[in-house]
Parts: sequence; structure tokens; C-alpha cells
Amino acid sequence: MEVTMDPLFLAWSYFRRRKLQQCSDICTKILQDNPYDQDSSLLISEAAWSLKTRALTEMVYIDEIEVDQEGIAEMMLDESSIAQVARPGTSLRLPGTCHGGGPTPAVRPMTQSGRPITGFVRPSTQSGRPGTMEQAIKTPRTASTARPVTASSGRFIRLGTASMLTNPEGPFINLSRLNLAKYSQKPNLSRTLFEYIFHHENDVKNALDLAAQATEHAQFKDWWWKVQLGKCYYRLGLYREAEKQFRSALNHQEMVDTYLYLAKVYQRMDQPITALSLFKQGLDHFPGEVTLLTGIARIHEEMNNISSATEYYKDVLKQDNTHVEAIACIGSNHFYTDQPEIALRFYRRLLQMGVYNCQLYNNLGLCCFYAQQYDMTLSSFERALALVANDEEQADVWYNIGHVAVGIGDLTLAYQCFKLTLAFNNDHAEAYNNLAVLELRKGHIEQSKAFLQTAASLAPHMYEPHFNLSILSEKLGDLQSSYSAAQKSEDAFPEHVDTQQLLKQLRQHFAVL
Amino acid sequence: MPEVKSIFREVLPKQGQLSMEDVPTMVLCKPKLLPLKSVTLEKLEKMQMEAQEAVKQQELAMKEQLQ
Repeated sequence: MEVTMDPLFLAWSYFRRRKLQQCSDICTKILQDNPYDQDSSLLISEAAWSLKTRALTEMVYIDEIEVDQEGIAEMMLDESSIAQVARPGTSLRLPGTCHGGGPTPAVRPMTQSGRPITGFVRPSTQSGRPGTMEQAIKTPRTASTARPVTASSGRFIRLGTASMLTNPEGPFINLSRLNLAKYSQKPNLSRTLFEYIFHHENDVKNALDLAAQATEHAQFKDWWWKVQLGKCYYRLGLYREAEKQFRSALNHQEMVDTYLYLAKVYQRMDQPITALSLFKQGLDHFPGEVTLLTGIARIHEEMNNISSATEYYKDVLKQDNTHVEAIACIGSNHFYTDQPEIALRFYRRLLQMGVYNCQLYNNLGLCCFYAQQYDMTLSSFERALALVANDEEQADVWYNIGHVAVGIGDLTLAYQCFKLTLAFNNDHAEAYNNLAVLELRKGHIEQSKAFLQTAASLAPHMYEPHFNLSILSEKLGDLQSSYSAAQKSEDAFPEHVDTQQLLKQLRQHFAVL
Repeated sequence: MPEVKSIFREVLPKQGQLSMEDVPTMVLCKPKLLPLKSVTLEKLEKMQMEAQEAVKQQELAMKEQLQ
């Protein structure tokens, strides 16, 4: 005779093995077999119900600390920052003010918000902060630059509807018919229910209701509910309330997570210095905590203080020598400070750790080329091309191959590579600029000028197209447009010596006239 | 090897005018290291892709039902 396993136990086992769909299916069956109204089966059905909420939550769970996206509305209509014109070195919005020995844009490319490109992207690093509304709307939507969503809740709503699509019978729990007060009295059900509402349904308002009632039931002594309240307030954009809840939670119980959430609130309110001191306070309680150290390093990096960011990333690596973000950031920093050999060692370490994707092979190829290990260069790029996931990545890899071609002097290959870049990503401003330079070498002046104008309009934050346009116009004798282009180049990169000289020459010309 | 004298000697003009001209040249944009993606970001993108697929398939199914 076949012995069948207890279904609830089986479901629990599936859950632990992260076979979430099977777990949810079995729970559904248990719930159908044990109606709610019988006392005998109440415990089992409650357990199955709670397990199913957990399984469904796990399916769409994203680490809330990492998720941070600013939409256009939050960026442009920002009321939460205290000083609109902040002093230098105290704001994340004015990245150019604090130069901590980082490389200039002459060696390290910039993102749209004027920060050097980083070695690692997280959901929050994607949204650069454009200066004007027009720029915000025009921003190309690629992963490496900026991706304004109309409002921060946009992506969450889409994820929420996605989770409902998967079960055609409708949602598992009908939130509008739920008696939140009843559930908030049951501590063993309320927590899983809260996480379900918050992560799976993305219904922050109901989640907030539940958390408020539950924290009241716990007589305002439960730090967990306070943290959840803070999370809800943060999503709703009520940063001061969120801060209050997190502070109060910290008084009850010191937790690393709470420090991270609180620091996130301060960063959103554009108070990086407060966030830094909070992280240091957290490090007193949890010495050597990797997430706190990473937080400090990220803030330094965002404030364009690359050298101290690298110091903190090195501290991170002392605690955890497999930290991908720290290795990638230190590696890219070495590459852009003219030490590709050392960068190569860091990226090779990532490869040894099992990171296997297009970006890593692309970086390895570039490092190999600039470290003069030519045998590995092209095979790395071939692998990168084999691993691309979308057209933007493909474009970036071809762009970098184009650089290798320029380096070995094969200008025909370079031309083809940049053309391919544009075929995959029509908004690739860098490729337009480089094509313009190649076109000018061939003597195609009009074509070159058109490419430069396209590049300048696509990426006004880069100085190269403006500067090139200025030189070209000056050669053609069009001094007025040369002057205006040079001024734009100066805005993008004030320390650029060649731009300064060009401007000086032009001013002399105008003075003579 | 300080003893060995090279047959070529460097030439530094000491007389006459020495002129140098600094011509500004066009600049290329720099090579771009691609940033690695965090686990959260990869998961987000994967979920979004799956959601788009699901929507597409549902729409296809709807169209087929209508026909």
C-alpha cells in the first residue's frame, strides 16, 4: 500500500526547497478540502493559508532596501529636500562640487547626472537626476544611463498586476473584503499577511492600515511593525513619518536593516552627511557589517568622492572577499586611473567566482587590450557578444570593439563597429561622436557635422561632441557657432584645457573684429 | 650600460628659433566599462520580462477566442 505524505508537510517541504508554485498548489487544495467554518480543521487551514501567502510573496519578493526608483514626478517636483541650493559637498544633487581625486571626464565617461560611470548598477543608480524637465522627458531609456518612470509607483503597479495575471481565478485574497482588524489581533497570521499585501499586491494603503492596527495591538512595543510602518510611509513619500517610525524601532531593537532603511530615507531627503553619520553610528553597534560599509562607500561614490569610496570598498573586501559590488567598483576605478593590469586582476577574480555574463567579458576584453594582453582581447569580446541579453548591451560591446579597432589602427573596422553600434542602439551618442571623428578623417565634413550635432543633442552632458563641433566650426570659419559650442563644452567640463584655449582664441578674434 | 656609447646622438637645437604649435585635435569618446548588475536589478528585469510575456500570451489567447 502506498503511504501518502501529509499534504501540509509536503507543502512546507516544497516551500523550503523554493518550489513555490507546487507549494502554492498544494495549499490551494488543502484550503478547498478544509472549509474555514469548521473548528476541527481551522488550524490546518490557517496554517495552509499562511503558507500560501508566504509562497506567493516569495515569488515576487524583492529586497526592499535595494529598491529605489525616482520617477519624473519625484525628481522634478521635489519638496522633501531641505536646501534647494545646497552648500558644496552636502548634497547628492550637485555631484560636481566635490572632487575627491577622481578622474576627470577626459578619462572617465560620465552619466547623464554628471557622475562618473560606476562599476555596478543597482535599481537606484539607474535614475540619474536630470537638470531640467525637458531633459528628463528626453532621456534615452537605457539601463546604463537613466530611466525615468512617470512615478515611482509605476513599476510596482506593473509588478502587482503581473502577479494577478498568473492566476486567472482572480486574486487569492480579496483585500477589500478582508477584516483587517481581525487579522491584526493574530500575530502569527498578521505578519505573513502584511508581507503578502505589501510585496505581492503592492497595496501600500491597506498594508499601512494593517500595520497601524497591529502595532496598536502590540502596544507600540514591537520593533518589527514599526519598521513595516516606516516602509509603508516611505513608499507613500512621507519621509518624515518614516524617519520617526524607524528611529522608534531602533530604540526598541538595534537592527542592521533598520539602519539601512533609515539611511535610505535620509538619502531621499538629500542629506548624505546625516546618512553617513548614521552608518557610522550603526558600525559602532555592528562593527565590520558589510552592508553598512557598502552604504558608506555608495554615498561617497555618488558624491563623486571616488578615492574615499574605494577605501570603503576595500574595507568591505576585508570583511567579505566575494563582494561583487566592491570588486567591480574597485576594478573600474583602477581601469579609469590608468591601471588596467590591476583592473584585470579584479575582473578575473569575478570570473573565478562564477560571474558569467556579457558585461564581465566586455570589461575583461577592454582590460586585456589596454594591459597589452592582445591574445585574450578578441576572444573575450566574442564571448561577450555571445552572451548579450538585449540590443543595448550588444551596442555597447560593439562600441568597445570599435575602440580596440581604433587602437590597432584599423579604421575601417572601427567605422564598421560604430555603425553596428548605431544599428543596435540608435541613441548611442558616444558612437555618433566617434563616427564623426572618423568621417572627418575621410574628409566628409558635412557628414561629420551632422553626426556631431546628433551626438550633442542626444547627450548634452558629454563635452566631447560640443568640443569637436567647436573645433570643426572654427576650421570652417563659423566662429559664432564655434563659440557657442565651446561654451557648452565648458559647461560640461569646466577644467578642460583645450576648451579654455579655444575660447581664449575665439575671444581674441572677436576683440579684433 | 653606461659604457656603451650609442651611435645616434640626440639633437637639441640650441640656435635659431624653436617654434611649437599646439593644434587642437578632435577627441574620441572613451571606452566604456559596462557596470555589472545587482541581483535585485536582475530579478526585477526578469520579473518584468516574464510579466510582459504573460500579457502578450493572454492577449494572443483573447484574439484567438474572438476569432
